[in-house]
Amino acid sequence: MLRAKGSGVYRLEHLTKAFDGGVIAVNDVSLKIGAGEQVAIIGPSGAGKTTLFRILNLTVRQTHGTLWIKEQEVGALRGAALRRMRRRIGTVYQQHNLVSRLRVLHNVLAGRLGDWSLPRALGSLLAPRAEDVRAAREALAQVGIPEKLWARTDVLSGGQQQRVAIARVLVQRPEVILADEPVSSVDPTLAQGIVGVLVELSGTFQTTLAMNLHSVDLALAYFPRVIGFRDGRVVFDRPSAEVSDDLLAALYAGQTETAPEAMDTPDGSPSVTSCLPPLRSN
Amino acid sequence: MDHPPSRAAFLHCDRTRALFPTLLALCCLAVFAGSWHLAQIQPGLLLQADSRQNMARFIAGMFPPDLSRDFLRLLVGPLVETIQISVMGTVLAIAVGLPLGLVGTASLTLTGILNEFELAGAPARRLARALPYACARGLLSVFRCVPEFVWAFMFVRAVGLGPLPGVLAIGVSYGGMLGKVYSEILENQGMRGCEALQATGATRWKVLWYGLVPQALPQLVSYTLYRWECAVRASAILGFVGAGGLGQQIELSMRMFNFHEVVTLVLLLFLLVAAVDFLSGKVRKGIV
Repeated sequence: MLRAKGSGVYRLEHLTKAFDGGVIAVNDVSLKIGAGEQVAIIGPSGAGKTTLFRILNLTVRQTHGTLWIKEQEVGALRGAALRRMRRRIGTVYQQHNLVSRLRVLHNVLAGRLGDWSLPRALGSLLAPRAEDVRAAREALAQVGIPEKLWARTDVLSGGQQQRVAIARVLVQRPEVILADEPVSSVDPTLAQGIVGVLVELSGTFQTTLAMNLHSVDLALAYFPRVIGFRDGRVVFDRPSAEVSDDLLAALYAGQTETAPEAMDTPDGSPSVTSCLPPLRSN
Repeated sequence: MDHPPSRAAFLHCDRTRALFPTLLALCCLAVFAGSWHLAQIQPGLLLQADSRQNMARFIAGMFPPDLSRDFLRLLVGPLVETIQISVMGTVLAIAVGLPLGLVGTASLTLTGILNEFELAGAPARRLARALPYACARGLLSVFRCVPEFVWAFMFVRAVGLGPLPGVLAIGVSYGGMLGKVYSEILENQGMRGCEALQATGATRWKVLWYGLVPQALPQLVSYTLYRWECAVRASAILGFVGAGGLGQQIELSMRMFNFHEVVTLVLLLFLLVAAVDFLSGKVRKGIV
């Protein structure tokens, strides 16, 4: 695999996802993300960012358009080939998505499930191997909670659980990390810490990083490239230095709870319905 | 996606749905009223002097229970047999119910986030999954809709008297119940953890054992133990049709009008069920 900067990791061409009820969550999106790039995606809630991420990590399939990952068209992937591709993409979720009744150890080692055979995976649940325990402890040390290795996951705080989720991605050693609002359920100081850790890791390992963020400040502070996303469409795609207040105001127009200043925009027409995905025919 | 439904149609659909609980409640009320009438419920009948005296005579005739050494010694065999029937029946029920229940779990095989990518826009694949799903569901309902004593009756004809037909009857009918309830428990689990496991490249088997089963374990174990308790009681009924255990002894004593013995047997059964309940309570507490 080519890993030189500039070679594409993601190539989206006219990507569209329409749900059965007619709601169009992602609407004709075309963009590229290069290897090792760090991209933040911002926009009002309900813009379709989570659906976009689910398409990017091969959980949901687009209804129209083409998705290329590392120069491979992934729409037709099934079975083992699909799982091999998923294995190369690590995801951190908004609600950490851990198995709360398992020990932290097993949640971290779940990052290996793509490599392990079923007997190996079941064996690890019953009697984890020493080298796996070591790997899990190292990953937890990188996110600052090595002492939680044997704890049951549901006794951890929200912030600690998010760190476990990051440790799972570390153990997975993916080529791409997708983070879907990873800090929306933790306090602001911790949020900075978690975003910082992910950006740093992606820098160290030359891993491509794409992150959905609620916080514009975090996006501008940590990411060289920022994409504005609204109503399922890319509104702007700029280096963070070029993201102006006007662009942000337009992006959040009508979103009173997230950006109060957006109410004063001259272009007006703030309406409650703008946070709903539009219904329209293609 | 040429003609998505209009927003008005959407809202209308929601409004109809909101009426559903009210309609359902009315239906339940009607069924209750009809049943009261048709089942000839007359609580007064129980309190009439005649019935009271008859019942009192019957109960008085049962006492004292027969606790003679000879009789008790006679019961050791059937007691052990009842335990064996219930244990083996439950094990067989798990062996029948678990695989069918897994195939019949829609969130594993057919719908939702675990099947979204592979089955979207692939009607042939969807059908290939839907057929085994429907077969498993159908088989499970046949197994559990036929009462266990009917199964026992059939198995007694097939394999003769003794504990084996009891084990088979419990295995099949309880297998149907376990499978149905297993699939419902699994379908009701939150799928967020499983979505993340799948995204690491895990197969559905691994998602099952790392995500669904650990999450649902307390409920699965709890329901299985409850079924075991029911199997102990059921083995008494099954004895009536010749499937061994304490039930066969109860039937024998009843037919000879030895009500002193019947009372001893019922007490024994009660103690056995209480012991099973106590034991399963301990296990449940261990798995939280």
